[in-house]
Amino acid sequence: MFPTLPPPPTPRAFLSDVPLRFITPPSTRKRKAAEAAIADDTLPLLKSATKAAHTRNATSTSLSDTPSDKDEKKKEKEKENTKQQDKLDIEHLTGFVSSSSSSVGQSQCPKKRGIATPATTTASMDSDDDFMSDMSSDDFLGTQGSDDESIGEDFGDLDTGFSDDKELISHQRQPFEVEFKVLDPPEIEREQLAQINNVAAILGLPPESAAILLRFRRWVQQERLIEEYISREDEMLEEAGLGTKCQGVAKTEVVNDFMCEICCEDGPDLETYAMRCGHRFCVDCYRHYLSGKIKEEGEAARIECPGDNCHRIVDSRSLDLLVTDDLKDRYRELLTRTYVDDKENLRWCPAPECQYAIDCSVKQRDLFRIVPTVVCACKHDFCFGCSLKDHQPTPCLLVKRWLQKCEDDSETANWISANTKECPRCQSTIEKNGGCNHMTCRKCKHEFCWMCMGLWSEHGTSWYNCSRYEEKSGSDARTAQQKSRASLDRYLHYYNRYANHEQSAKLDKDLYLKTEKKMTSLQSQSGLSWIEVQFLDTASQVLQQCRQTLKWTYAFAFYLERNNLTEIFEDNQKDLELAVESLSEMFEKPVPELAELKVDILDKTAYCNKRRVILLSDTAENLSKSKLIH
Amino acid sequence: MTLCLNRLQEERKQWRRDHPFGFVAKPIRTPQGTLDLKTWQCAVPGKKDTLWEGGVFKLDVIFPDEYPTKPPKCKFTPPLFHPNVYPSGTVCLSILNEEEAWRPAITIRQILLGIQDLLNEPNPESPAQADAYNLFKKDRPAYERRVRQVVKENPPM
Repeated sequence: MFPTLPPPPTPRAFLSDVPLRFITPPSTRKRKAAEAAIADDTLPLLKSATKAAHTRNATSTSLSDTPSDKDEKKKEKEKENTKQQDKLDIEHLTGFVSSSSSSVGQSQCPKKRGIATPATTTASMDSDDDFMSDMSSDDFLGTQGSDDESIGEDFGDLDTGFSDDKELISHQRQPFEVEFKVLDPPEIEREQLAQINNVAAILGLPPESAAILLRFRRWVQQERLIEEYISREDEMLEEAGLGTKCQGVAKTEVVNDFMCEICCEDGPDLETYAMRCGHRFCVDCYRHYLSGKIKEEGEAARIECPGDNCHRIVDSRSLDLLVTDDLKDRYRELLTRTYVDDKENLRWCPAPECQYAIDCSVKQRDLFRIVPTVVCACKHDFCFGCSLKDHQPTPCLLVKRWLQKCEDDSETANWISANTKECPRCQSTIEKNGGCNHMTCRKCKHEFCWMCMGLWSEHGTSWYNCSRYEEKSGSDARTAQQKSRASLDRYLHYYNRYANHEQSAKLDKDLYLKTEKKMTSLQSQSGLSWIEVQFLDTASQVLQQCRQTLKWTYAFAFYLERNNLTEIFEDNQKDLELAVESLSEMFEKPVPELAELKVDILDKTAYCNKRRVILLSDTAENLSKSKLIH
Repeated sequence: MTLCLNRLQEERKQWRRDHPFGFVAKPIRTPQGTLDLKTWQCAVPGKKDTLWEGGVFKLDVIFPDEYPTKPPKCKFTPPLFHPNVYPSGTVCLSILNEEEAWRPAITIRQILLGIQDLLNEPNPESPAQADAYNLFKKDRPAYERRVRQVVKENPPM
């Protein structure tokens, strides 16, 4: 008889297990010149990389038209033609696959391209002029030309068997891929140094002062820094802790009648040090202070003078003079860390223990229409925008909302849906915890019947059960209820599918761990060579990737407005899902059958991957043109 | 450790030579009768022309082995009614925070003067106890009454 609000069940967290380590504050990014140099250095490597990339294209892109302005046409056409084309492609593939399985092995994971060396990374960047022109990055196109040529040459001697013009044209970056570069710690340091020297040369400052200025202004664009410096030099130097004079050599001194304020030592030959602020301490205390800051507090770029209330920043010359050698590495590491943290175009790979940073030009403000998935040299794929695990095709903003919603709602919503109804008047959620059907809402005192949701006053004397049908008040109340239920159901629909793919991906991953064993036993049972059983490895990787994508398509779909494009999106989603499920099924077959299924699995793997590429390309294109409304 | 003790020895010397009026700061004696340089008993008088005038507030200053790299801990005994004093009596003050404004060159004299200033200039940005903070924010007359009461309870020795 007493309606109560339901107790909140504990919500489950669904955040990715990858910790968020660093968030770059927004500032303007700058392109670096090192890119071209690297591409040059690594041309021989590039060649092999292109080979792999090319094979992939042969299998995976012949279907999709080039992501060009033929957009409208494409969408209509694609919906009608995809199946037919896929069929053709499979046939094309099957022939191809059985002839050279190893190259298909490589071809199935486009993500792998960016991985092994900087060279392959650059190779993966070469491919999408179209996409980049959308993003209006002229300088990028500038550096592009030479690379493209070299690729073209490579194709010349490679495509004898299976190329036609269309395939050559379609050798482009997929619309859902972004240009990025993996930087190792020495490269980051070099970049830093180049900028410092540049600014130092322009402003006529010693490099260590320029470095302090740059760090003080959190590595803003050089032009802006220089402008500011010219307009208000003195204030800026003062704020940055540099004082007005930047000349002079840093050295320790012996001063008469000195007593160190920290250790209270005095003595005629006590070595002391002071920066230009004049706060003088003995060298031991200074060292001790700096090592404490560096070692224990992890500070580097903005250590202040040990004097009370002095904000002068300890510059790198002083540090070089005072910091002991064992701390210098740590110091440099910390400087690099703040450098990457401060720059908008750099982001640390969030994988544990990974030392690399990613350089990517996608800006924070573009994140609503681009999903910049990058792959680190450690093979961790993550979103450059938010550092979460790859979540294509869903934009960061929606991912955040979705995860938040899931954390808040999913379990609660399930429970509410199963156990409660809403008060027809005030919509409070009500749990019937026993008693008769005569409900009185605790909040608004509305009296109604639990069965038909109609006014209780219309019930006359039928107190204990409701046999009435189609009274107006009852049906109105039920309509309102249905509406709110429908929105819950809608959420749960997407959520359940999202969660299911997450779960399945985990299970598939377990399976993947067993794959190696399977592969070994397959080798001994069927006499296949190691290379020949690699298809299982590939299949399981593709499976993982596709599930990941599928998972996020559901989160994405939840926020999409209904229109034609949404339908295409859902068709693509359905196709991919079917393909993934059937591959997953094959994958679970007992080992002896696997050898026979090899061709099927290979086909399915290629097909899954292709469906994934189609889905992502299509979505990315529409997203970048703001055609998908969310 | 020797750095810590040397420095404290020197601070004691300086304090005995000269210290601000009305303040007390001396290392405690252990039950064995020796001096424990790492725990000082101090007293801070309320500033003239403020609410706190006329009160003298006792606190323990406990120095860690890493002093002066790390700041000492200052704890009012008994705990003081003040927005920036934790219920345990520990003072929340930027110069006593290693991550904030603590510098090895800060002396006990500066710390005690800093605490005296804090008495009448609480920092509402970092409340440490609900009691005093809420009154300070919501009911200033009641807050001032309480302070006067506290001053009465802590007369000069």
